[in-house]
Amino acid sequence: MLLAVLQPWPEGNQPTDAALMERLLQRDASALETLYDRYGRPVYSLVLRISQQPASAEEIVQDVFLQLWRSAERFQISRGPLEPWLFTMARNRALDFLRLKREKQRRREDSTDSDLPFSAVIRPDPEGDIDMSRRSEKVRALMSSLPGPQRRAIELAFFEGLSHSEISAAMGEALGTVKSWIRGGLLRLRESLEEARS
Amino acid sequence: MDCEQLDLLYEEYALGILEGEDRAELEAHLARGCAKCTPGVAKARYVVSQLALAAPEAEPPAALRGKILDAARSSASSARSGTTPVRSTVTSIEKPQVKRPMFPAWAWAAAAALALMTGYSIRQMELQTTQLAELHREMNLATQQSKALQDQLDQGRMVASIMMSPDSMSLKLMPKDKNMPMVHAYLNPQMGVAITAAEMPAMPPARTLQLWFVPKAGKPVSAGIFRPDAQGQVTLVAPVNMPMDEIAALAVTEEPAGGSPQPTSAIAWMAQKN
Repeated sequence: MLLAVLQPWPEGNQPTDAALMERLLQRDASALETLYDRYGRPVYSLVLRISQQPASAEEIVQDVFLQLWRSAERFQISRGPLEPWLFTMARNRALDFLRLKREKQRRREDSTDSDLPFSAVIRPDPEGDIDMSRRSEKVRALMSSLPGPQRRAIELAFFEGLSHSEISAAMGEALGTVKSWIRGGLLRLRESLEEARS
Repeated sequence: MDCEQLDLLYEEYALGILEGEDRAELEAHLARGCAKCTPGVAKARYVVSQLALAAPEAEPPAALRGKILDAARSSASSARSGTTPVRSTVTSIEKPQVKRPMFPAWAWAAAAALALMTGYSIRQMELQTTQLAELHREMNLATQQSKALQDQLDQGRMVASIMMSPDSMSLKLMPKDKNMPMVHAYLNPQMGVAITAAEMPAMPPARTLQLWFVPKAGKPVSAGIFRPDAQGQVTLVAPVNMPMDEIAALAVTEEPAGGSPQPTSAIAWMAQKN
């Protein structure tokens, strides 16, 4: 009973992501529909924040969900968590677009990121995980609590895809300071998400 | 470096910004399947992915849902009505011949020719697969470029509409540096603000220009960020996100890439509204 209360999607007996991916494997488009209703908004928000162009964001989101449709079999095999995989793929594709737009597209060191295996991401204690809106509040609260420059450095790394040295140049801060801000902020995010689950 | 020290770097690695020796050290642990670092990095990927939830919430266009579903259904139906997969053709070519105790010379020649043809066919198929993958990659690139052009076209149309509207107010933002060009702005309470400029100098990738509404009282409000294109042209269309009669001036500052919540540098262009 306790587990049922702590399921990620308890409202109205919503199907789990894994169940929907099983149905996707059977080419059930209504499962894709449900997954889009669940994740379309945060994925679009992320891609729009990175690309800054609604028409391009729409194209990238469509590409991400169609990739999900095509990759259902891989999910079936490894049964990793879906949400971080979707977010990671959406971020990578939006950053690719951004780099192309800036005419300085460079080969990513980890060129397989867009096809990150589901099993490469672990959502700790998935059955005890908290729902997306609460996690969203946690992440936003944490980011707001960071000093402005530290928050800015993390945003430039995540949403703009800039490296440590590019961020250092953009902010006019020493490289060591930038590294320390990003490392400290990310560790606080880790702790905050761990606290949220406890 | 031991696992305890590497633990502090997992999130930076997942974010893709870990470089140099630190990255090499961590990758060495991952390569040998380190029992602490492998799950540690997988958890860090989850933690980093959650930064997506910090993006400002935006509503996707209503039509997008239908487009995705139509494309998915269409791909499913074409897969059902598809032709025999290439792999099965290869298999049929590679089927072994029935063995006989003795072969006449012509049979050896035929077998050799068949083997040659099989090898050639496989090489051709590998080549075609590579070419197809390359074409697919180029097609994706072209689609993205086309989308970017479409965005520019849409933006150009929007600028023209705002410029031509009788309800728009025209402003000239004068540069502080006399060597810089003037920036033209058109304020329309319904359609938004459009700005244009030409012959702007190139900017480093880590910097951007940011337009501000300067209110009669209070702090400036960001209207959007923009950069000159390769030809030095500037175009921006953004909503007017405060009452028109409260706007005292428009200003442009240079900011770090992605913009700033408040100006962090001196005003580079400015125009008083009244």
